[in-house]
Amino acid sequence: MSGDRPTSQRLEHAVGVVLRAGVTASSVCLAVGVLWSLVTGESGVARILLQAGILVLLMTPVARVVVSIAQYVSDRDWTFATLTTIVFIELLASAVAALLFNKKL
Amino acid sequence: MMPVVTASLAAIIFTAGVISGSLGALLGLGGGVFLVPFLNLVLGFPFTAAAAISLTTVIATSSSVSAGRAGKQLINMKLGMLLEVATAGGSFLGGITAQFVAQSLLQRLFGLVAAIVAVIMLTRLRRRNVILDPAADPGVLGGRYYEDESRTTVTYRVKRLPVAVGASFIAGNVSSLLGIGGGIIKVPILNAWCGIPLRAAAATSAFMIGVTATAGAVIYYGRGQLEPALAAVAVLGVQLGSWGGMRFGAAASVKWLKIMMALVLFIVSVMMFARGGR
Repeated sequence: MSGDRPTSQRLEHAVGVVLRAGVTASSVCLAVGVLWSLVTGESGVARILLQAGILVLLMTPVARVVVSIAQYVSDRDWTFATLTTIVFIELLASAVAALLFNKKL
Repeated sequence: MMPVVTASLAAIIFTAGVISGSLGALLGLGGGVFLVPFLNLVLGFPFTAAAAISLTTVIATSSSVSAGRAGKQLINMKLGMLLEVATAGGSFLGGITAQFVAQSLLQRLFGLVAAIVAVIMLTRLRRRNVILDPAADPGVLGGRYYEDESRTTVTYRVKRLPVAVGASFIAGNVSSLLGIGGGIIKVPILNAWCGIPLRAAAATSAFMIGVTATAGAVIYYGRGQLEPALAAVAVLGVQLGSWGGMRFGAAASVKWLKIMMALVLFIVSVMMFARGGR
């Protein structure tokens, strides 16, 4: 039992870093995008910043899942590597559904 | 009809974000349960547009709260990743379902969930499921963390895993259908039936919610139901509100707040049924 502690702590640390980086990057993009559009009105730069902020936010949990898969694989914890891979596939399925909706409607 | 973005609308949504974010932090909820009815009933956004904005704020809250907690062992990562298989699957199906059902049905479902949330808030049992022997074996899915208040190491095992998986699937489904985090469905069940201490259940649920909400939000985004500028101000407002709520809320009397908010949710429930019944 005590043997897996360092592993889980490494994972917690990595997950914490990914989440914090994602939230910070997206919040900065969104804040600058909002201020930019308040100052200059509807502009291309503001639109790109807002879109980037939203996309980074949507990608943050995905990145967290990818980091977890990598950690479980490097620990040879195949049960949890498989489970997190299933979660990743489910997120991928959502993205595919989003693309299909986008094309058709 | 997607809402037209104006500076005053952005200011209103930012304020609504601050209020629901701080209420959420004070009550241990995500805040989506307040934001969605405000956007849908008060501002008249389509239900799907309201849910899309709310889900984006849910992702932001989950990510920043979990980033702050990572390393404290309060989040049960293994249990979280296992249950995410169920929440993400439920959320994926919910996001697709939301595209094909009438707004009135979503409103009635929201009314039902708001009433349930209000009842849970008023009757919540603070049961502890703790093994106090620190040498006890928590098993693969159990956990162990240090509780500051009682200065003890808390150890717990997970019981009735299928119940936890089922609750997670339903929570994920409801999450992307209605634009809320779904913690209010999972946490009481994980706590009352699966042997997980309240704080660990809440932290683990908040951790899972980011992935859950993403599976739904991506679908709304692809469908063009997420207005980036309005989502941006809502996210920034909720972030500010939940930061303030956590920083200054410790001293506040949560009991009266809970009673008041339960009342608000009952009113929301009635309004959703009234609107959805037409």
